[in-house]
Amino acid sequence: MSEFDTQKDKYVTFQSGSEYFGLKIEYVNEIIVFQEITEIPESPEYVKGLINLRGKIIPVVDVRLRFHQEPIPYTDRTCIIVIRYEQMVVGLIVEKIAEVVEIPAENILPSPSIGKNDNAKSRFVSGIGKVGNDVKLLLDPAKLLGDEEAALVGHLNNEDESEEGEE
Amino acid sequence: MRILLAEDDFVTRKFMMNFLSSYGECDAAVDGMEAVDAYLMALEDGEPYDLACLDIMMPVMDGYQVLRSIRDLEADHGIPEEEQVKVIMTTALNDEENVKMAFDLGCSVYSGKPINKEKFDQALKKLGLI
Amino acid sequence: MADDFNTGDMLSVYLFENQQLLENLQNIVMEQKDADGFDEDSINEIFRTMHTIKGSSGIMMFDEITKVSHKLEDVFYFIRESHPTTVPHVELVEHVLDVSDFIMAEMDKLSDGGDADGDATELVASLDAFLQKIKGENGAKEADTKPVQKEETPKQFYIAPETGGNSHFFRIYLTYNPEIQMASMHAYKTVFALKKIAKDILYSPEDILTNEATSDEIVKDGFNILIKTDATEEDIREIVQPGYDLTKVEVYECTAQEFQLGFEAEEAQILIDLDSSVEEIEKRADAKEGQTDTAPKKKIAPGDFVIASKEPGKGKNLAKERPAKKDKASFISVDIAKMDQLMDLIGELVISQSVVLQNPDLKVPGLNLDNFNKAAGQMKKISTDLQNVIMSMRMVPLTNTFQKMNRIVFEMSRKLGKDVTFEMIGDTTEVDKNIIEHISDPLMHLVRNSMDHGIETNEERLASSKQEKAKVTLSAKTESGKVWISVADNGKGLDRGQIMAKARQQGLLEPGRSESSYTDKEVYQFITLPGFSTNKKVTEFSGRGVGMDVVVSNLQKIGGTLEIDSVPGQGSTMNLKIPLTLAIIDGIVMDVGDSSFVMETGAVREFVHVTEDMLIHEPDGRESVMIRGACYPVIRLGDFYELHDYETKIANGMMVLVEIEKNVVCLFVDRLVGKQEIVVKPIPKYIKKVKGLSGCTQLGDGSIALILDAAGLMEY
Repeated sequence: MSEFDTQKDKYVTFQSGSEYFGLKIEYVNEIIVFQEITEIPESPEYVKGLINLRGKIIPVVDVRLRFHQEPIPYTDRTCIIVIRYEQMVVGLIVEKIAEVVEIPAENILPSPSIGKNDNAKSRFVSGIGKVGNDVKLLLDPAKLLGDEEAALVGHLNNEDESEEGEE
Repeated sequence: MRILLAEDDFVTRKFMMNFLSSYGECDAAVDGMEAVDAYLMALEDGEPYDLACLDIMMPVMDGYQVLRSIRDLEADHGIPEEEQVKVIMTTALNDEENVKMAFDLGCSVYSGKPINKEKFDQALKKLGLI
Repeated sequence: MADDFNTGDMLSVYLFENQQLLENLQNIVMEQKDADGFDEDSINEIFRTMHTIKGSSGIMMFDEITKVSHKLEDVFYFIRESHPTTVPHVELVEHVLDVSDFIMAEMDKLSDGGDADGDATELVASLDAFLQKIKGENGAKEADTKPVQKEETPKQFYIAPETGGNSHFFRIYLTYNPEIQMASMHAYKTVFALKKIAKDILYSPEDILTNEATSDEIVKDGFNILIKTDATEEDIREIVQPGYDLTKVEVYECTAQEFQLGFEAEEAQILIDLDSSVEEIEKRADAKEGQTDTAPKKKIAPGDFVIASKEPGKGKNLAKERPAKKDKASFISVDIAKMDQLMDLIGELVISQSVVLQNPDLKVPGLNLDNFNKAAGQMKKISTDLQNVIMSMRMVPLTNTFQKMNRIVFEMSRKLGKDVTFEMIGDTTEVDKNIIEHISDPLMHLVRNSMDHGIETNEERLASSKQEKAKVTLSAKTESGKVWISVADNGKGLDRGQIMAKARQQGLLEPGRSESSYTDKEVYQFITLPGFSTNKKVTEFSGRGVGMDVVVSNLQKIGGTLEIDSVPGQGSTMNLKIPLTLAIIDGIVMDVGDSSFVMETGAVREFVHVTEDMLIHEPDGRESVMIRGACYPVIRLGDFYELHDYETKIANGMMVLVEIEKNVVCLFVDRLVGKQEIVVKPIPKYIKKVKGLSGCTQLGDGSIALILDAAGLMEY
């Protein structure tokens, strides 16, 4: 019983560089091994291209590049976390997958908006979760997927806008 | 008004009894056979039912068979059309052919489940029962 | 939510049949609205239509619809029996349309799961007044007229099951992580959690608490739940969320009937027989058909619905097998969702076919594939036929859409006081149902524009001594894989000067480009930009400048384009060009570096091997090529898209000549891979629109190819 009540406090975590990040499990569709990517022209650096997921074609994003970090070569540890947020399904290429942890709300601190380190990371982080002695930076899928102007413009272009009626 | 209810599902039966009791005295049967028995008993006691509310999917005999038996018994006893019991069939089946068969066998109202209480009431008024 | 097209469902049948009748009625009225009166056949038909609607609505207890159709039936009964000489035709036409609109609106409410709660009192009263008037004018006294047909109050009624925000039924499929222990415990917890919102719940396997073996069953086949609840799908998904243990949660809404019939009612699996030969399979199919034929038209009968006693967790099992439904002759109504499913499946089939036929396993050298290729050819033929039939099933004539426009012209011409006729050409042209849904609104807008702004007022027309009557013409035709629809009017045309002025004012003109260098077509295109409207007055129908850009974007969604032609003083024509089939096209696959591209075969004119000396380098960096005396612009796809490792030497690659409506461009690629049927898939929403690309697809080897949009490329 407890399992289902606390679904919402579970996070899938992954490692990128020296830090650990977490994503709410409700946004995670599945986790797959790295696979061949088809490039898309004219896309931002961090959008690596498209992959074929059992017949469905979905875009993939390199998390390190999204955070404006130096990219590292892909290894056999590299995974793709397929997330779904609102109407979008996107794959996140991550260095190494870690475990699913439970972080109750009281263990989450708001993300400090320090001017120092970040341009990138802190913008995507919605909070800092404490698990034992470690911290996991909890990511906000809306910001991760939507914020940058490029993706935003694309979103507007591709979105089905049928609200505008006549005149 | 005397009402006969035939419904095999406990929860539905409870709901229907509750609902129908506001219109009159209501007896419940739990399967098709029992319904026919109840009908005949009332007929022979001289206190026939005015309204019969039959579920379609029931054990032993289904709603259609009950309806047919009731009409046969009424014919047997020489009961004129105006005095025949008005039958309402209740069911989750909504196909045209199901409805047609029910009407052909002589049912007056075919109501899908869950029962729409207002329309049910409306229909009873149209039939002149209330 | 009411069922939509569950064939045979009382409400659906009622709505479907009556909607057909009403559409037919509207057509009759439209055809005869300009005549002096309705002819005898029409009078009869209108009478019969109202009679039928009155009857079925009475059974369904839709009282307002019954009343209003009864009243109109009375009117036409009078006209039919007494042959009055002075019936005000236009008024009568309006009354019929009003009644038809009212009933249609009520039916729309019903098909959305709502109630037919409209009030027809005023309508009935005005019909009554009309009836009395024509009776009076024709000297018929109340007593003289034959009594209206015997009042048949229906004695049998159908009550639709209660919907409206109450019980929904859902089918839930749960897939568990194969690595977890005690899947049955997890399943039980789910059921327990759902019980809080469930009015009734069934699940399979049922003995999860008592039988450990169910854990394996659940891991292997999944866990099925049927639930009856007031909650919504979102509520269910809140409770049942995927996670480590639960890898997939699928929730489908289903009908009360399906819920009742439980798990036994699921469709039988279609097994694919790989062993038997084609002849054997066909023989078996024929034999099976023969069997069902010997028991022709098995109707339902009393006794078919007796159930075995209900066990907990099980749906009601019918003691007898439900007999097969008999086929309706000629036409059946099909659930649109199923048609879409069918389209998706045929798409998957095409991809799958490619994967099989291009399988690397086959590329063993020295392998004799003669028999294989013969069989493959046969399979391809069948799958092509299948595709064609499915596509044709989705083809619907434009007639109804055009008729709607007829109605709009009629209404607007009266409201605006402009005398306008409507002409239709090629309305029997068929297009994919999907297209119809997307062009209906744009067409309406264009027609309204023509009526409102294109066509002058009667006085203006007289003043400019225009002879012919004002006319709006809708025409359609199919050509080279596209359907061409145009909305033309013989009004005052577009004012180039006014448009340029507005464009200048809004800063839309290219800096440094002279205004006279803009072609008329380019100028007219300005009106399709958002917020652009040269109308000084905003009218009820248009002028707010929000419409044309929506028309264009709606068109783009289905791959169509809008071209505007106009002659000042004579009229304007809006040309819509829409590709006929969206989903599966024949394409040429080509490689550039690591990427694969596909171009629709129809656009490819030829492939030419070109040498360096045939190239011309323009000062601005662009290149052209001379082929047989003609000069064509060149796009090197590798450069254009900034790809990697692509061929740069002209002589080592290939030129692909692409032509769209007399515009030609040459694409330089590394090599041609081949011709393939591909299923067009949209580029995922997350990705911003890329110039020259209209979609993506999966090739036979599983890799992804980008679909080139010739028209888009030519803009560069």
